[in-house]
This record gives sequence, structure tokens and C-alpha cells, in this order.
Amino acid sequence: MASVPATTPRPRAAGPTQGGRAVEHRARRRPAAGSVGAYLLLAVVTVLLLFPVYWMLTISLKIPREINRVPSLWPQTVTLDNYRELLGERGFLTNLRNSTIVAGSVTLVSLFISSLAAYSLVRFRYRFRGLVGRLILFGYLMPTSLLFIPLSIIVARLNLGNSLQGLIVVYLTFSMPLSTWLLTGYFRGVPAELEEQAMVDGATRMGALLRIVLPLSLPGLVAVGIFTFTAAWNELLLALIFITSEDLRTVPLALQYLITGDVYRWGPIMAGAVLSSLPVVILYFAAQRVMVQGATAGSVKG
Amino acid sequence: MAVIAAPRQRASRRPRMTFARRQALWGYLLVLPVSLVLLALVAYPFVYAIYISFTDRVVGNPGGWVGFDNFRYLARWSSFGRAVQNTITLVVVTDVLKLGLGLGLALLLNEPLRGRGLFRAAVLLPWAMPGFVAFLTWKLLLVPIGGGLNLVLNETGLMAVPEALGLGSNGIIDWLGQRSTALPAVIAATTWRGFPFWCISFLAALQQVPNELYEAAKIDGASRFQRFRDVTVPAIRQVVLVVALLSSIWTANSFEHIWIMTQGGPSDATMVFPVLAYFGMQSQRLGEAAAVSVALVPALLILVFVVTALVRDDD
Repeated sequence: MASVPATTPRPRAAGPTQGGRAVEHRARRRPAAGSVGAYLLLAVVTVLLLFPVYWMLTISLKIPREINRVPSLWPQTVTLDNYRELLGERGFLTNLRNSTIVAGSVTLVSLFISSLAAYSLVRFRYRFRGLVGRLILFGYLMPTSLLFIPLSIIVARLNLGNSLQGLIVVYLTFSMPLSTWLLTGYFRGVPAELEEQAMVDGATRMGALLRIVLPLSLPGLVAVGIFTFTAAWNELLLALIFITSEDLRTVPLALQYLITGDVYRWGPIMAGAVLSSLPVVILYFAAQRVMVQGATAGSVKG
Repeated sequence: MAVIAAPRQRASRRPRMTFARRQALWGYLLVLPVSLVLLALVAYPFVYAIYISFTDRVVGNPGGWVGFDNFRYLARWSSFGRAVQNTITLVVVTDVLKLGLGLGLALLLNEPLRGRGLFRAAVLLPWAMPGFVAFLTWKLLLVPIGGGLNLVLNETGLMAVPEALGLGSNGIIDWLGQRSTALPAVIAATTWRGFPFWCISFLAALQQVPNELYEAAKIDGASRFQRFRDVTVPAIRQVVLVVALLSSIWTANSFEHIWIMTQGGPSDATMVFPVLAYFGMQSQRLGEAAAVSVALVPALLILVFVVTALVRDDD
């Protein structure tokens, strides 16, 4: 859960940011005096940030002898054997497929249901609204480790154990509060006047939601969709408890089973690490602006 | 004709429903699905977990009410004591490190430096990576043979330092496998994965501070430190507080970092609640396993209460 945004985001336009647009005024500022020191510091931090990633990539491209017996910082022989082994005999494609099905379904269901709820919480006034809002925040902060035992009993009772459907259902425990909480923040940023205008012009409530609010919150929906997808894609504890068949294992589950043996085959494991990071990292970087803004902007009181 | 009659009838009834009531009805309707899911999948299991923690339930036998027996057992159980200690250490130390690194880096990246975009991309990377991948990679960095850290230390000649401290010999240190280094190693990995998010949050808050404030402070003769204290700190205090609280909740309840790197070992040196609860479930003693997590609920509720009071709430 740790990679998930901390706070309610809000589209930039809604905040008091216009006056302080970073880029323009910063150009006017003098470069910092101690900039050599600053660069040096940044260089050190960057190496620390990137070295693990570099290590993951090189190990995935190394031959076994170079991983364990004569380790080196650079691979002497570059090979794709690890990827071949992982996708071939270890059937990693099945794991990728399972994860895609689970994370994709969880995202679609959560986004749809949550956007209705978030819209309701932002636009309508009714009793218990505050209570529902609290419940959502409570669910957002609720640790999975507290819920997994009762959930396992409930899922067994529903006969959903050891199935991707069951996993999708239990993943809603964290995806639903997460996406509702974040979407509430985005919808707050859409001015109510626009909708009222549309309704004066003859649009229905639903029409206003579909034609005004959704398009305007599209960046938010994309960001929340990516956060929800990655939360489900990365989940390990519930998958460990609910999935027992090998052919139903999701990506994190398959990789954790590769490190429980006596001899770690680091080559294929790191190939799996690279392959399972790629979709998520690409999504994050492609949507970088909305993601960062979604994770942080205008999130808090005051 | 009936086709026309029906809408007319409805139209005549409509004015009796006030605007406010119609609004409320829409509100209830749209919020209903999420509420049901939350009640069924969060609230109900939450209450159920508390109930189970007061029973001697095992797999296949619901058991009976045993009062506080499970909690009395926990109080005497050394693994549980270790989990409490480790969790506190882990949360406090990683919070301090993440605050220092996150804030320092955010302040640096807020300066007009060339190539700032590249550095920002580097910061994003650990945040964007899946957690299990990050911790798998760190496990590989820290293994005694073929691990990246030992290799770098040996190549640079720095190995002499940890060896002089008695952490290993012959260029081999088993970072995750010995009691003295396992928890610090886990802390390092958790910080690496976690601080970029703090940095990104702080950076966003810093960029919302109008530059005029700094200019004005400068004209009034405020020193660099005074400007930090009187302009920067008030502007980001709220974000720091919320991020720290949420991060503490997540760190205390995170399973995957410990599970992937050490599984709580060696001999409970890195044991935490979720791993202990998971082991409890594997040994089929559900009552005790539930009690492990439920023991955290009072602390959790306090944190949730504080967060609720802090985060923006429009009315």
C-alpha cells in the first residue's frame, strides 16, 4: 500500500497555484550559490536511487556463473536465457495473464462504482453523508493484515477460495476505498456551476455527470485508475492466502515462490522482476504529471 | 393512451417531492453500492476479526469465547514482544530517515538546477516500482554471495570497515541473515522504497508557495534560515504531518517487505505483526492470529482519528 497517494488530490486549476506557477518565476531566480555541492549531493543520491534498479537489470541479463561464482559490476556475457527460462518452462505468461485479469477487473469495477459514490458525496446533501465519508477513509486506512483472517472464512463460505473471482472480490476491500477517496478529491475540483449550467440548458443529472463531470475529471480518473491497478497488481498477502493452485498464481505470488526454495535462481527471478515492473513503471511515467499531482496537490486543509 | 397517461400521472406527483428530497434520493442511490461493499468487505470483517480474537477458533472449528486469554498469551509470547519492538523501531527510524531524505531532496530539487527533470525521474522510479519487486531486488543486493552490496564494498576497499566491526569476514557479510544487521538492512530497503513518495509530496507543496513570499521576506532582511523557518515550514507542515501519519500506518502494517526479505528472521530479529499473524494462520490457530492484528487496533484507531481530523473535509 505504501506507494499509494497519501491524500485527497485536487485538480490544479482549483488550487491557488496560478500566481505561483513554478516555472516562470523560477527562471527569474538566481542559480543557487552552492550549486556544485548541490550537484554532488544529487549525484550521490541518484546513484543510490538507481543502483538497485541497475542491479536488477544486469542480473536479469547475466549467465548463472557470473551471478554467483564470479560476480562483477558489469555483465561480461549478455544473455536473454533468463527471460526464456522464465517465460518458457516456468510459465510466467500465465502469471502475467492472471495478474492482468485480476488487476484489470478490480480497476474497472472500482472506478465505476467509486465514481458514482464520489460524485454523490461531493454534489448531494443528505443525512449520513459524513458517516459514509468517514467509513471510506476508515476503509482506506484499514490494514489488510487485520482483515485477512475473517475474509478467508467469508470467502470459504462463499465457495470462492482458490479462484481469480474470489481474489477480485477480496481486492475490493482496499481498491474501493482507495479509488473513492481519491476520486472525491478530483470531483471537488470540478466547479458545480458548469453542471448547473448544463442542467439549466436541459441536461439531466446523469447527462451532466457523463458529459461535464467525467470529461473534466478524466486526468483524475486516469490517475486513480493507475493507482488502483498497481495496488491490485502488487498485492501479495491476500494472494498468498487465497490462491493455492499453481496455474492461478499472480505475478507477485509466482516470484515469491521462486525465493522460497533452497537455491535461488536469481537470473529468472530478476527477469520476472523486470517484466512485472515494466507495465507499472511505464504507466507511472506516461501519466507522470497527473500521478504526481494526484498523489499530492491541494490535498489538505488550510 | 395509457402510454401518455402514465407520465402525466408521474408529473403530477413530482412537485410534491421537494428539490432537497430528490437530491438526497439521488445521493443515497449513487453512494449505495460503495456503502454495501464497504459494509460487507471492510466493516463486517473488521468486527468479525475482533470477535475471532476473543475465541479459541482453529481451522475447521469455530471454537468458543475465551475472553482475553489470547491477549494474555500474546503478552507472554516473546515473538509478539519482538514484533512490538521491531515495529516501533521500524516506523520511527524509517519516518525520520524519510523525512530527512525526502525534505532535503525536495528542497534541492526546488532550486533552479540544470537537469532537474532527470533527477526527478530518478526519484520517481522507486515509487513507481512494485513493492515486491523493490524488496526482491534488495534481497538480491544483500545476499552474502553474489550480492551487489558486498561486491561494491569489496571492489572499493570499503569492506574493511564493516569487517572491522565484526559483521563478517573474507569479504562476505550476510546482511539479512544475522541478527545485528537484519533490521538495519530492512530499514534501508524500506526507506529507499518509501522516501521518494515523501519527496514528491513535499516538492508539490513547495511549488505551491508563491515566490513573492520569499521575495518579500528577503526584502525585509530575512536570512536563508529565517526564510525556511517562517515561509517554507508553515507551507509544508500540514503535508509533512499527513504523509508521516499515513506512512506510519502503512509501514506498521506492511507485510511484503519483511516477508520477501527475511520472513521475520533470523530468530524474530525482523518479526512484525502481519508476518506473525500470517504464521498464526498457517498453524491454523485463528483466534491467536486474529489477536495479533487486533492488538494493534487501539493504536490504529488513534492514528485514524488524527488523520480524519487533519485531512481536508469540506464542511
